[in-house]
This record gives sequence, C-alpha cells and structure tokens, in this order.
Amino acid sequence: MKVETRRSITDLNVMVAGQGGDGSLTVVKLLGILLARRGLHMYIARNIPSRTRGGHAAALLRGSIVPRQCVGDRIDLLVAFDGEAIEKAGERVSPEGVVLYDTSAGPAPGACLPDSATVIAIPFARLAVRDHRRDLFKNSLVFGVLTRILGVDDDEARDVLRELFLRLPAEAIEANARVLEAGFALADDHDLAAGAGPWLLDRVEREDRILISGNEAIGLGFLAAGGRFYAGYPITPATEILSFLASHLPRFGGVAIQAEDELAAINMAIGAALRNPRAMTASSGPGISLMQEGVSQAGSAEIPLVIVDCQRAGPSTGMPTKPEQSDLNMLVHGGNGDFPRIVLAPGDPPDCFQLAVTAVNLSQQLQGPVYIALDQAVAQDSCTVEPFDMGSVAVTEGRRLSPAEVAARPEYRRYLVTDDGISPWALPGTPGGMSLVTGNERNDWGHVSSDPRNRAIMVDKRMRKVECFHDDLPAGRQWGDRDAVVGLIGIGMELGVMQEASERLADAGLAVSCLQPRTLWPVPGETIEFVRRRERIYVVEHNAEGQLAHLLASVGAPHDRLRGILRYDGLPFLPSELADRVIRAEEARS
Amino acid sequence: MTATYPPAEPIWCAGCGHFGVQGSLVRALDTLAIERHQVMVLAGIGCSGTIQSNLGTYGYHALHGRVLPTATGMHLADPDLTVIATGGDGDGYAIGMGHLVHAFRRNPSFTYIVMNNGTYGLTKGQPSPTSEAGGIAGPALDAVTLGLSLAGSTFVARGFVRWSDQLDRLTVAALEHSRAGRGFAFLEVLSPCVIYNDTYPAWEASLRDVDDDPDHDPSDRSGAFRTASELSAAGRMAVGLIYQAPARAAAAFTGAPRPAAELVDPRRHEGAYRELVDRYRV
Repeated sequence: MKVETRRSITDLNVMVAGQGGDGSLTVVKLLGILLARRGLHMYIARNIPSRTRGGHAAALLRGSIVPRQCVGDRIDLLVAFDGEAIEKAGERVSPEGVVLYDTSAGPAPGACLPDSATVIAIPFARLAVRDHRRDLFKNSLVFGVLTRILGVDDDEARDVLRELFLRLPAEAIEANARVLEAGFALADDHDLAAGAGPWLLDRVEREDRILISGNEAIGLGFLAAGGRFYAGYPITPATEILSFLASHLPRFGGVAIQAEDELAAINMAIGAALRNPRAMTASSGPGISLMQEGVSQAGSAEIPLVIVDCQRAGPSTGMPTKPEQSDLNMLVHGGNGDFPRIVLAPGDPPDCFQLAVTAVNLSQQLQGPVYIALDQAVAQDSCTVEPFDMGSVAVTEGRRLSPAEVAARPEYRRYLVTDDGISPWALPGTPGGMSLVTGNERNDWGHVSSDPRNRAIMVDKRMRKVECFHDDLPAGRQWGDRDAVVGLIGIGMELGVMQEASERLADAGLAVSCLQPRTLWPVPGETIEFVRRRERIYVVEHNAEGQLAHLLASVGAPHDRLRGILRYDGLPFLPSELADRVIRAEEARS
Repeated sequence: MTATYPPAEPIWCAGCGHFGVQGSLVRALDTLAIERHQVMVLAGIGCSGTIQSNLGTYGYHALHGRVLPTATGMHLADPDLTVIATGGDGDGYAIGMGHLVHAFRRNPSFTYIVMNNGTYGLTKGQPSPTSEAGGIAGPALDAVTLGLSLAGSTFVARGFVRWSDQLDRLTVAALEHSRAGRGFAFLEVLSPCVIYNDTYPAWEASLRDVDDDPDHDPSDRSGAFRTASELSAAGRMAVGLIYQAPARAAAAFTGAPRPAAELVDPRRHEGAYRELVDRYRV
C-alpha cells in the first residue's frame, strides 16, 4: 500500500462483517480496547441476524474525539470475511477507505466499492488454518494488519491483544500472540511497515468512562434504585437484561427468575411486588403483547410494576434483531380497560440508567405500571459514558404503611378513596393490614362490586393518580437553535442521529431546534409547547404509521405542523440520510 | 385492633363442593395455629376464585390461569409467608396448564388447592379438561398422574369434599409440607358442581382411598404412578396422600435471598454496585 501523506484519524468508523460465527466481534473487541487506550469515545453497534451461527453478520465500531451516539455515514475501514460483506456494505465505504478482504472463499466482488478505496486482499482464514490450525485465529491476523494501517505501534498492539485474552490459559494467549506476529509479517508483505501506516489514529486525554449498552444500564439503574425482583423470558433484544440481573441480583439480596413464558414472567413480578420487592420484567414486542393482561391487572389492582420493552421490528415476530419504534400504540393504549400508566423513553445508556431509577420510584408512587420503551439500538448498542453515580440516586417509597402505622389506625381499607387517588398500602404479613387485592372492580375494602356509583368513584380514583406526578415526570432533552421555525422530534435511537444531523443542517444553513422527549405518556406540556412554538416539526420515527406524531396530535399538538420522517426497513438512519430528508422536505415546500 | 375487611359470604350454590374445601382450609389454619395475617390466599377466576374473600387472610384475585406464577413470585419474595394458591380445574388445567407443569418442576414451597368440578360453573356449564368424555374431546385430564410423572414433584394428593375427615388431614399435610420448605404441595379436591355437573354419586363410586391401603407407600413415586395411572385407565381415581417425597429430597429455592425482608436502602449494597460498575470501565 502506497503512503503519500499520513492522515490523522479523529472519527474512525470500522465495520467487521462476515458469516455469523466468524468471530467478527473478537476483532471489534480488540479495536475497542485499542480505542479506549487512545482515549477516544466509542459507539458499538451490532447488526446481526437472528440465528445462533451463520448468516451475514456485521459489527460496527466508531471511535471519535467528540462523543457520538450513532453509526457514522461512511465506513473508513471494512474488514470483509466474505464477498457478501462487500456487496452489502461496499457503497458505504469512504473514497479514502481501506478494505481488508479475506480471499479464502474467492475473489472480491467487483463494482461495489468506490474506485479510490484501497483493497488489501489476504486469505486470512486459509492462512489461519494452514499455519495455525484454527480458523478463529484469523482475528488476530487481521488485527496485526489493522493496527499497521492505523499507524499503531506493534508493542501497543501486542499489549491490546494480551489485555483481551487476559483470562485465557497461558498457552492460548501465547498462541494468539504468535498469530499476531504473523499478522505483522503479512502487513510487511503489503508494504505496511511498522510505524509507517497511512493513517495516524488520534490520542486524547479524557475522563474516566464505562462502555455499556442500554440493556446493561437498565439493569444497573434497577439495582441502584433498590430493585429486588426480576422475572423474564428470553427474547431478542431484551435478553441481556435477564442475563445481567440473573448474574447480579443475588448479590444485592434480590431474586431473578427465568419464567416459562411472558405471561408467567409478568405475573411473577406482580406476585413479588405485592409482597414488597421493587419488581421489573422486560421483553420485546411479541412478549409485551402477551403481557398486556398483566399490565392491565397491575393498573386495575394497583400494583407497582416496571415493564421494559426493547422494541424490535414488528408486527408479530417481525425482525427480531432489527430496531423499530412501532410498539408505542400498544404501550400507551394497550391492555383492556382504562387505567393510569406512565411510559418513559431513554435515548442512550445514561438515560437508561436514570429512567430505570425513575421508573422504579414512580411505580411505587403510582402503585401501577410504568413502562420503559427502548428500541433494539438503544438496548443493544454500547457506548462510552461517564460512570453512573449511585450517590445521585434517590429512592422514594410511595405511600406505604408501616406495621406501627397500621396498628395506630382504627381501620384499614386497601382501596381507600383519597384526594389524589393514591391509597396508603400495607404489605402482606402486617398484622391488622389484611386486604383483598383484585383486578375486578371492587369497593374500598377490596370486595368485588359492580355497583354503578362505586364503579364511577373507583375509575375516577385510579385515573386521578397519575395527575400528581405530571410535574415530576422526566423532562426531554432540547438542543439546537431555540428560535428556529423548524423542529425535530425523535425518541430512543433517533437521539444520536438527530444530534449529528442537526449539526449538518446548521452547517448547511438550516437552523433547527431539536427535542428528545423522555416521557411519552402522559404527554408532557413541554412537548406540546415545543410543537406550538414552531412552524414545522419533523417527527423522526422508526415505524410506518407515525405513531409518535399521532400520539402528539391526539393530545393537542397542532397536527398540521407535524410531518413524519419515517423508516421501517430495520436500519437506523445515518446522520447524512436524516439531514437530507429534512433538507428535501424543506425544499419541497418552496 | 385495626378493623380490616369483613369476610364475604360465599357466593356458591347450596350443595356446592367448595364449601367443604373452605371448611377444611379454615380448620387447617386453626389446627396449625397460623395467624391470618401470615397467610396469603391467591385465587384464580371462576366460582372457586372467590374463596380468598371469605377467610379474613390476605387475599389476591389473580388473572385467569395465572395463580401459580403469581404465587411463585410472592413465595420467592417472602418464603416466610404462608402462600396458598387456589383455583378451579378450568383455571388450573386449561388456561393455566402450562404453569402447573413448571410449578411441579420448580417445586416452590407453597400449597396449591384445585377445586375440580369438571365444568365451567360461572359461565354456565361448558365442559372443562376434567369433564368426562363427551365434553372437550378426549378422556378427562388426570392432574395427579401428570404431577407424578414430573420428577420435580414432591407432594401429590387428592381429596373428595364428601370425605371431610380425610380432606382435613390432606389440607393440613399439604400446608405442613410447603411451610416446612419441602416444596410444592399439590392437592386436588373433587368438588362437584350441583348445577352443571353433579358428580357426587358417580365420583364417590369410582374412588379408591389409598390412605386405607396398607400396601400403598406414598414415598414410592413409581408405585404411586402405577396405582394412579391404572385407576385412571379404568375410569377410577385415587384419593388420599398419593405421593410425598422424603424430607431430604426437597430443597426448593433454599438459600435464595429474601427480597421482601430487604429494606429499600440501596446504600447497603453500594460496595457491590461500585464493583459492578468497575467491570465496565474502559
């Protein structure tokens, strides 16, 4: 490879793609450690098929000086373990990009890449098997060549490799170390000398960071907020919450259980919550559909419960590994009957942590269901963020009655009608606190009743409850030009893309104001106000119906100002795509 | 004394078997001197799903078919609470059947009393999984044989409301089993519906009391399975303490944390939290 001028890299997008099971994540992990040592911010996305092994799979890693919460427009470096990887991602390779192509399965497909991109073709897999007897060693070979391209010193690359394999047996570490040297030799063969690569990966000083996914951040927030019972059923893309809490809840004095299905999961959580522990369940669309009876039960019987929906492409089984935001209608309106609920929507891991804490507290105060709506990208993508500080977590109990408070009362009615609708609550096991809890309509003792007068009183009491929290619900995030007549609204995975796209729009001379609402239901006044103050609002959503826009219009946002920018092909927006859609829509007006 | 809800009068028809189930349950609580505030009775949906309102204990009216997962969650939250799940055959063997298999398998220490009347009484007499042939296609479901076939089961019994002395003994034995942490105590009670499926005489004629059989060894699972399945094949039913695993065999969820006992003070776990966050540092 010819090196004319060495290019300083401040925003690096790497895609590693091949057949699932190629171990493509190993290369990403090695690069992650390297970027972390360089102090760069990271964003890691997975775009994997729903199969255990096999099928085309890709992992994307972005390292940047400026924190970024989405995949960048261009691929600077593509590691392609098969031809399909080039066919699928070739058009996104930057004109100055480099492609490392594994020729083991045949020559690279033509006409998919920019002419100016550099292709380095090496039979990595064949060499790994021939010289090192294991196909997986191709990762360490690739890493040797990659680090040379990035202008990384060989010793640093060696350290990174050892750091990743730290916990492996000594002979496995040594074997990988030998393979890395072979990778350096391959680089030499392609004129990529040590310390003379075409690029120079930047190095910066930065604060202490953690690399974490939204699902893991939800788990940490739940623990920090005193969450002590979790029941779940495996489902993509929510399973990491189950595995995280199954691993860690016991050390916090809690219990996590894998249920036989989602019906059992939500009812187990309800059963635990009735007795005290702060309880949560999580799933994705198909599982949340099954759970609707339980959400309605928690709303009716007044049981605190947090439900996480890691949304994937629907309807029905849909596309399990692809992100979508098409469950909003179900979360806001699902479940039979009228009952109060709260729906929160985090846009990045810090949001996930904070809103998990808030959701646990709100569920206790509301004595009812609180949803946290993620999408696959927020749930499973990882990025570097400031460590979550448990010191900032406040735990609120809701209106509980201690045994002494129960004893001091002449009587205890579970569903006592109060001004704000919230009935003081004694836990089972409390002497004198005996209660009847039911999802049927009942009187204030908990006895089933269909008396019309009582019915109206009880419905009103329940619906009144959510009003007390209206002012305490999490506010949205706003940025951009406050005076702009054009606004963008988006939730979840749209956050990072909107942040970057709004910079591009500003550069292109289009001032926009942006809002990421973090409370979806009840719709906060600020969201409506944001729409009212602007002439045109582009509602960026991953669904076909424009569910968020409909929701806003249903509570008074002027619907003639709302325009949907919709996507439902299973891919996130790239920043440039979103900026282009806005610009085209604006141009179409004139 | 704090006044709590006045127990309800049963809604059941005169002659309904469920009166007998309630009577045995109340006597068992008294026999074992269990205070009412230490008891949570969960019920499903249907005629049987009203028993929890009649007792003066804590009561929870679960979703149709979901009484077992709800009880499992409650038991895991607080193993010291006496958890008694109840329901009918439609609730437990039709819509809730998936959960029954997993309750046997997991063996959580609570009692489950199924009031089996072979019909959906509240919705006026539709056939249930335990209706005799002619109802839902196929022979009646035998939950006792099912329970015995699952390796996790530790207590399988069947009573008949008209044989109240035996039902009293079985109810006490079931509560003792689960309260001692030995696992899931499954008690099916034949509790006829006098309106839609009056099986008092037919059932009584078909029963065989294994408690009276000196050759029946309730600690022998395969012997119990043979007896129960042979009777079932002959259109008869075993009643009595059909199977109880030896005490040492059961260890459902022992040693699990007791989250209900936790005060919500996350600071207690700040060290564990910090250590966990450190794992994500880069």
